[in-house]
Amino acid sequence: MSQDIATIRVTRYRPEKDSKPYFQEYKVPYRHDMVVLDALNYIKAEMDGSLTYRWSCRMGVCGSCGANIDGEPKLTCASFLHDFKGRTITVEPMANFPVVKDLVVDMEDFMDKLVKIKPWIIRDKETPPEQGEYKQSAQELERYSQFSSCINCMLCYAACPIYGLNEKFLGPAATALAYRYIEDSRDQGKDVRFPVVHEMEGVWECTLVGECSVVCPKGVDPMLAIQKTKILGATNAIKSILMPRGGR
Amino acid sequence: MGDNKRYPELRRRVSPGWWTASRHYAMYMVREWTSLFVALYSLIFIYGLSLWAMGSRADFLNFLKNPAIIGFSLVALVFTLYHAVTWFYLLGAIAPVKIGRSRTKPWQALILNLVLLVIVSYIAIWLLIFR
Amino acid sequence: MKVETHKIARLHAILWGIFSLGGMIAAFLLPVLLYLTAIAYPFNLWPFNGARDPSFLITGHRLGALFIFVTIAGSLFHGIFRFQSALTEVGLIKYRRALEAVGYFIISVGIIALAYYLATWYLNGTIS
Repeated sequence: MSQDIATIRVTRYRPEKDSKPYFQEYKVPYRHDMVVLDALNYIKAEMDGSLTYRWSCRMGVCGSCGANIDGEPKLTCASFLHDFKGRTITVEPMANFPVVKDLVVDMEDFMDKLVKIKPWIIRDKETPPEQGEYKQSAQELERYSQFSSCINCMLCYAACPIYGLNEKFLGPAATALAYRYIEDSRDQGKDVRFPVVHEMEGVWECTLVGECSVVCPKGVDPMLAIQKTKILGATNAIKSILMPRGGR
Repeated sequence: MGDNKRYPELRRRVSPGWWTASRHYAMYMVREWTSLFVALYSLIFIYGLSLWAMGSRADFLNFLKNPAIIGFSLVALVFTLYHAVTWFYLLGAIAPVKIGRSRTKPWQALILNLVLLVIVSYIAIWLLIFR
Repeated sequence: MKVETHKIARLHAILWGIFSLGGMIAAFLLPVLLYLTAIAYPFNLWPFNGARDPSFLITGHRLGALFIFVTIAGSLFHGIFRFQSALTEVGLIKYRRALEAVGYFIISVGIIALAYYLATWYLNGTIS
């Protein structure tokens, strides 16, 4: 009885053994409901235990399993094999990041940027717990809630050619998260966040390619966050000239 | 920061031809290069004005009737319209308008602004030529 | 502990604002100017199927001169700004500073020349 087969070409890079990456092909039994992650897990369990990749929740909420699948940044747990023609797919590590081993990339640059934008509520003064919670209306929540959906999967960085050309670029996810806090009515940290997003390597490097929002698995739309941050930057710059000592 | 990298990481350079990898990227490049024609036409127009300044009004008008200038200007018009279309779409993506519970979509902004372009052009001609 | 300093790029923010305005101008005003000078006048189509010609825009009408200035200056700024960044994306990122300097030089010379010509004709009245 013939079984359906899918061919998975995976990038292999073992720095302790090879100086260059190469492709290795595996033939995996195919079921209609398989995702790429299932295929990778099958390979690791049954065929080649040395294959190295990140994954965790296998349901698109943890952001661990990003890869370039047939050239496009995708989550391996969210990419169905039946979406790819001919049942041959190429899995490479996420673009624009240094590769540690096989499909595992070095995330340190993104982690640094995440810390830089201070992804937490900053208050001038914390009110004591006895005064109760910070209240926020539904409209105030809506101003930033889509940007809080980011799962830090970094697919947007893999898709962004500007980040590929210039590693110093703050990038989509970090800017979207900065904007999430800037727009949060409870946050009073504009003084701290604006210099980070409005320096030259902040939003100004972005030229509206828009691929970040196309690949985002959570609908964060980082392109929108970046453009809104640019508009904030331009209006602030004009204000600072017209009203040099203007109050906040 | 931590120097626990005992083995070299693979750093992949982005080649100047990165934009040929997908249709999205290629269309982006075309969109950006419309700026070349917008800039060139502006410079050529200023050059035409300089012919008038150094010479006479007829020099400027003959310049406008030059087939090479007409040819380039028509190409510039095509690229300018492509710029306008992509610009209007981006406006729709960046500034969605809330109507009740839903938001406007970029293609709606595109159509609205195209109509606006026709109206503005007509008003411009009326104000500048016929008044 | 490393202390990071971030400097807000105020000048660039303003230049970006002008670039965006230029984009609006190039989208809404440049097409009609191109139509008038490259199609209507050379091929005798409306509205240049009578006695008038494009020079009328400049010397017959203050608003016309303003229209030409805003359209050409805005389009020039937008085009050069964007083209310079497009060049850095096709392999010339090393020459960024030089490209910016050349770009802003061209913009400055172009806008000064444009303003000079239009102002001269406005001050002198019509010239033949």
